[in-house]
Amino acid sequence: MRIEIPPDVSVDGHLVDGVLGYLTWATGILFLVAVGVLVVSLVRDRARPGRATGAYTHGDRRRDQLLTLAVGLIMFFAVDAVLAARAHRALSDRFWRYPDGDPRALRVEVTARQWSWTFRTAGPDGRFATPDDVVTLGELHVPVGRPIFLKLRSKDVVHSLYLPNFRTKLDAIPGSTTRMWIEATTPGTYEIGCAQHCGTSHYKMRGLLVVEPEESYRAWLERAETDSRLRYDAAHPAAAEGWDWEHGS
Amino acid sequence: MTAPPAAIEAHQGEGEDAIHPAPTRFLRRYVFSTDHKVIGRQFLFLGLVFLAVGGVMAMLIRWQLARPGVPVPILGRVLYGRSGGVISPVAYTALFTMHGTIMIFFAVTPILIGGFGNFLVPLLIGARDMAFPRLNMISFWTMAASTSVLTASFFVPLGTANAGWTAYATLSTTIGTPGVGQTMWVVAIYLNGSASVMGAVNYITTVIRLRAPGMTYMRMPITVWGFFLTSVLNALFVPVLAAGMVLLFFDRVFGTQFFIAGSTIRGGGDPILYQHLFWLFGHPEVYILILPAWGVVTDLLAFFARKPAFGYRVTVGALIAIVVLSSVVYGHHMFTTGMSPLLGESFMVLTMIISVPTALLFLNWLGTLWRGAMRLTTPMLFCVGLVFTFGIGGLTGLFLADIVADMYLHDTYFVVGHFHLIMAAALLLSSFAAVYFWFPKMFGRMMSERLGKLHFWPTFVALNLVFIGQLLLGYAGMQRRLYDPSVYDFLRPLLPLNRFISDTAYLLGAAQLVFVVNFFWSLFRGKPAEPNPWQVGTLEWTVPSPPPHHNFDRLPTVVRGPHELGSPEARARGKDWLAQDEIVEIVESAEESR
Repeated sequence: MRIEIPPDVSVDGHLVDGVLGYLTWATGILFLVAVGVLVVSLVRDRARPGRATGAYTHGDRRRDQLLTLAVGLIMFFAVDAVLAARAHRALSDRFWRYPDGDPRALRVEVTARQWSWTFRTAGPDGRFATPDDVVTLGELHVPVGRPIFLKLRSKDVVHSLYLPNFRTKLDAIPGSTTRMWIEATTPGTYEIGCAQHCGTSHYKMRGLLVVEPEESYRAWLERAETDSRLRYDAAHPAAAEGWDWEHGS
Repeated sequence: MTAPPAAIEAHQGEGEDAIHPAPTRFLRRYVFSTDHKVIGRQFLFLGLVFLAVGGVMAMLIRWQLARPGVPVPILGRVLYGRSGGVISPVAYTALFTMHGTIMIFFAVTPILIGGFGNFLVPLLIGARDMAFPRLNMISFWTMAASTSVLTASFFVPLGTANAGWTAYATLSTTIGTPGVGQTMWVVAIYLNGSASVMGAVNYITTVIRLRAPGMTYMRMPITVWGFFLTSVLNALFVPVLAAGMVLLFFDRVFGTQFFIAGSTIRGGGDPILYQHLFWLFGHPEVYILILPAWGVVTDLLAFFARKPAFGYRVTVGALIAIVVLSSVVYGHHMFTTGMSPLLGESFMVLTMIISVPTALLFLNWLGTLWRGAMRLTTPMLFCVGLVFTFGIGGLTGLFLADIVADMYLHDTYFVVGHFHLIMAAALLLSSFAAVYFWFPKMFGRMMSERLGKLHFWPTFVALNLVFIGQLLLGYAGMQRRLYDPSVYDFLRPLLPLNRFISDTAYLLGAAQLVFVVNFFWSLFRGKPAEPNPWQVGTLEWTVPSPPPHHNFDRLPTVVRGPHELGSPEARARGKDWLAQDEIVEIVESAEESR
């Protein structure tokens, strides 16, 4: 039986794995200590002939109360406070620092619908909602080593873009735009999942994230641009799903 | 300690002390009864029936996850005849929707709050009945109406609800679920909530107004504290859910757009509003369900360790702190909706703060057992089992409180494992403990200890294996609510683990048959129970088993706390317990006075 976390191929995934590791150790130790105390009680403090009743203590002396409070607070500062501080740093330095003005960032508009993902990137003109946009269904191609800035929308119900190899997910919500960013470290093909129950075929809402070295990404982009241009229907611009990035359609 | 509240004394004369004769007509006595003990049993039976239904649904879900697309043996032909016994994707979504709905609203709520809350609260505080007996009856029959609507929803075109037990908009609007089944689900939840609020008002009033003389707040059994605080949360937050249901009903039936947005159907509403309403109720709901369980376990651990509960006041303070905090942490269910950083981090820190009072509660349990003289009866085994299971369930909550870890774990089986350890494992263990403990009082007969232990061990082991297994699935990345995980390459290696979990779950299901046999056998053939088989001091054990219609021939006057086990005054009488209203002739020394 193999139970492993999917390989991490992102620049920031180690922050998540670090928290998971720390928590596993910290809670594991707390649990083992608690179970140890419980087992000692269970073995030693059983009723037997000549010992029919327990010690008559209420545990309400100042000493008892301070002891429990102290243990509670130590736990809070050793586990919760450490976690909160770590999370705050990780979020404000990395996950929530969006590559807004970063010229290297690849901007992607993600449209979720029952039951597929559509990805759109701006064409050579760098603007969205123009005929040279690259639109793909169910497959997102990105270069390695560049920030990928994703904005999400949904056409019908709430979906959730889930990237197990990047340790993150974000809901796509009808009526609003949500955003996230990732950066890949390793070329390869990774799975995109939907994490939010979105109807009968929720389980089929699978996509692929293809991470390529810059050169092969460029080659793919060229082909994809040609394809998208051929498919573009001026009478029907909405078919190339997306919006104009900043404002919405 | 303190004098009884004046209001209670005023009632002593004719009103409160008057004993009404039991009704003689069958309908009044057993069906439309206003007797809290009868209503309690009604809720208990209703809850146990739905527990079985929800349990069978869990087995079907586990079948599909272990053997996707393989026809279900035996049951499949009855339930899924048209697809040759195979569970279809739409049937699967209905299964996990109704499994969650039934277990939370129609099994655990009626068993613990409706059943034991009703039966125990008046008896434990020394009252003749609830403050509003008729409201109590209406509460049960509203619940019954709610179950009828829910059951009927299985037989309408397009089938029953399948938007998940959380029924997130817009999936739960006609965009995602056009069938009338989902509308009936909304109505059923609304009725169910109404029943809960009626019960809550009744419990709160009963506890505040009808405590026997001398039954101060600090002498109440923790069980009563559990039901009391649960009722406070119920009264405050179930109406929020009801409001959400009303708006959802309007969206579905009258074409309003409170929750509808997006481009398939244009609408000016906001699906996130639904999530706020749902979780503003939904997180307190976790505590609504677990507080009575905590209360029962705190008392029972003391009773069977033959020791006073460790740190009574700290425990009560911790419970109150949890109740207050529980209303300001719900945002952790919405970390992945892209909420504002300030809001997200506030919810994270508040959620983590809850771990402090919870830790105090837990430490006090260990303190109660320490230096006790444990009697490992069946109810005690279930309580100790809960301490273990709750430890895992509580600690795994920390993973999900942390936004960074939650980005990965949200909506995976880690969440499923975590909340099942609390909401399924801990609640079931405490419910069983309560049944084994109070069965003699409810039905006048003892349950079999031998069968009880035979029920405990497989249940305890299987519950932990199943839900710890789910934690591992989540760690490996498996999302919730997937009809067939093998669609994803990275989930395919998890099939053996899924099989193992499912096979263990079947064992868990089978072990419950031992309980069913024990329950019915004891109901008719069990050894007749004495008034106080467990030798403890709370008031329900001072009256016959089962108690007479009016509970107490004379209203008791309480002179001590609920778990004064092993006190010198008791030992002076050659036993280790004293009833809460037992007058001891010896002059009490100051330090023993509580």
